[in-house]
Amino acid sequence: MMEVLNKRYSLPKVYFRKNTYLILFPEEEKMSKKLLTLLSVLMIAVFVLAACTPAATPAPEEQPTAEDAPTQVPAEPTAEPVMEEVTIQLWTKEGETDGGLQYVQSLTDAFTAANPNVTFEVINKEVETLREDFQTASLAGNPPDLLWTVSDHAGPFTTADLIMPVDDLFDMSKYVESVQLNGQTWAVPISSGNHLMLLYNKDLVPTAPADTDEMIAVAKSITSGDTYGLVFNQTEPFWLAPWLGGFGGAVFAEDGVTPTLNTPEMVATLQFLYDLKYTDAIMPAESDYNGADTLFKEGKAGMLINGDWSLADYKTVLGDKLGVAPLPKVTATGLMPAPYTSGTYFMIPKEVAPEKMDYIKAFVEFATNLENQTTMVTTLSRLPGLVEALSIPEISDDPILQGSAAQMSFGTPMPTVLEMRCNWDAMKPEQIKVLADQETPEDAAAAMQAAADACIVSLE
Amino acid sequence: MITMDVILKSLNEVGTTVLYVLIGTAVIESIMYVVLVRLLKWRYAMPVMLLTPAIIGLGALVVYPLIWEANLSLTNMSLRRFRNYEYVGFENYVRVFTEPVLKTIKFFPLFGQTLLWTVINVVFHVVGGMILALLLNRKMRGRGLYRMVLIMPWAIPQVIAVLAWRSEFHYEFGFINIILKNLGMQPVSWLLDPTANFAAMCITNIWLGIPFMMVILLGGLQSIAGEYYEAAEMDGASGWQRFWKITVPLMQPVLAPSIILGTVWTFNNFNVPFFINQNELETSDILVTGLFRAAFQYNRYGFSAAFAFVIFAILVIYSIFYLRATGTLKGIRD
Repeated sequence: MMEVLNKRYSLPKVYFRKNTYLILFPEEEKMSKKLLTLLSVLMIAVFVLAACTPAATPAPEEQPTAEDAPTQVPAEPTAEPVMEEVTIQLWTKEGETDGGLQYVQSLTDAFTAANPNVTFEVINKEVETLREDFQTASLAGNPPDLLWTVSDHAGPFTTADLIMPVDDLFDMSKYVESVQLNGQTWAVPISSGNHLMLLYNKDLVPTAPADTDEMIAVAKSITSGDTYGLVFNQTEPFWLAPWLGGFGGAVFAEDGVTPTLNTPEMVATLQFLYDLKYTDAIMPAESDYNGADTLFKEGKAGMLINGDWSLADYKTVLGDKLGVAPLPKVTATGLMPAPYTSGTYFMIPKEVAPEKMDYIKAFVEFATNLENQTTMVTTLSRLPGLVEALSIPEISDDPILQGSAAQMSFGTPMPTVLEMRCNWDAMKPEQIKVLADQETPEDAAAAMQAAADACIVSLE
Repeated sequence: MITMDVILKSLNEVGTTVLYVLIGTAVIESIMYVVLVRLLKWRYAMPVMLLTPAIIGLGALVVYPLIWEANLSLTNMSLRRFRNYEYVGFENYVRVFTEPVLKTIKFFPLFGQTLLWTVINVVFHVVGGMILALLLNRKMRGRGLYRMVLIMPWAIPQVIAVLAWRSEFHYEFGFINIILKNLGMQPVSWLLDPTANFAAMCITNIWLGIPFMMVILLGGLQSIAGEYYEAAEMDGASGWQRFWKITVPLMQPVLAPSIILGTVWTFNNFNVPFFINQNELETSDILVTGLFRAAFQYNRYGFSAAFAFVIFAILVIYSIFYLRATGTLKGIRD
């Protein structure tokens, strides 16, 4: 009935669906139909246009100049005769704060400038996030094409069979010692070091202490009010490891996989850290990475233990007041502390598309050639991974890098086996408890061992 | 910096996905139209056609991962057995209850911590939200401004708010310890001391959760007719009696769903316990953060899948119990 009325007269159309009436006047209906059609067409057009937009290509003016480009592109990485469009997704642990990410992007931009068919998608991820995400992405069958990360990721990645060995892809004799596991090399060094060292503010500490007694004495003399003699990240066992070496200990037995955390050396190390805080009272009551960093930058800490990744930043903030030296000898043992050394590395996922392989190889060689390694030394104040670049004047003439190199000579390669993860996780809470005066070093060492052993069982 | 290149690239990626979805939907709908409307002339063709894209979407995004997860929970997949995992039956489910789910803590103590965390937060959310809602439900000058200020914690992205709070709990530079020191009190080790860290988590989450409860309860309060209060006042009822005998019973329909929602959200809250617990204290972990660590820090994938289903089961049981107790779905069934 209603439909008949609607047809015969120009009445508003009345639709009845279940319990609802929908009334549309003819003009309104026409308009709404038109509008709907127009909107639909517009929406589809937007998405079609967006989808058809070619991948971002570098504009000519964005090509690096002599000043900002890491180097002129060498002949080797130039494109092969086949010029298919390739996008390489690179995940890097380098962040913006110390200029690391900018450096990575300058390298990819320079490579793209010489090889316009190759574009990069550079994604920065915090170190642990990178590891977790890479494992998840690999599981989903969608890993990135190249990783720029730290050596201890090689352990989980090789265990899960996610990365490929690089012995047959590159001339590894050109590089410093790289990540070796099961008789194969799994990464190409970009920088070497990643080690802790003693940084000091020359206004407060004119010369670096030679041993721990001297360090404590100097620190005591400047600790007062809100100024401290020594600061470091008290919450991470990476900062405990050098001292463990200084007391003659190691986290693994000879086999490299059995934890040795409940040892007299570990107890002595924990006792030493406890004494620095409570007996000698030269450290703040609580200090994480950022807290220590801020105190040192504000001139409220005489000495700081931090890694080579932070040198560029401190050079900018403190200028000539910054001093760098090896961690002082442990008086009780006569041994030098042994910070873990590793560096940053390229790792190539196993699932990488074969058609990208040549470009990835070319880029890795390009990023680690002499010119770019020299640029990295000057820009980021990191020691290079290329052997040839270790003797450049930019290192030998720089006292900061000299100090870093001196410390590295006392370092010990960081274990990269999967079991190291268990050691880190076992050490962290106990170290925190000792430094919070909630547990004795003896109990902490025993708890560390138990936790590491249990964790290793769960790995299976 | 967001450049034109970045914008174009993002549009390109989003556009491609949406285009595929549109094409896929158009193809499915066309086939269904031909089959259901033209050939079969089925009377329910239209509703089925409208529901199909959503069913396919939910199937791909919810049902398939659930099935995959259930399958995973029956395997021993870990980093060591990433590609060559084997089926181990219900072994993982047994291990969830018998072995440490994290470094040392077992399931039931972790469950206890989660219950404690949930109860503390929900109680403070409801009480705090009710107090503020009652205050705002009166005629006063600047009520809109107060409401806007009080709702702000809810408007801030949770992760950002939590990271800001974490900075404020810093021993040296956080404003809470600075205030304590200025008052002549001892600073608190919010990020290292187990009890203080748990308290810090609760403080942050209470701050974040009260605005939601306040808005919901304020809506409920405004729907209660003033005549009830007038009649009670004439009968000589005190303020407390009016609140307890009129407000609380009439607020039940609003309180019940908001408490159930608040409980589930708090029980499953990841951001606050994960980010405030910067030093990975097991005493500050709850079930969902424990699950994340088991899966992505300790790489026990099969075990974590079983662990996830146990948490899922707890929430399903809670929801069924609560829905039955409150009769929330009764109207729908009728």
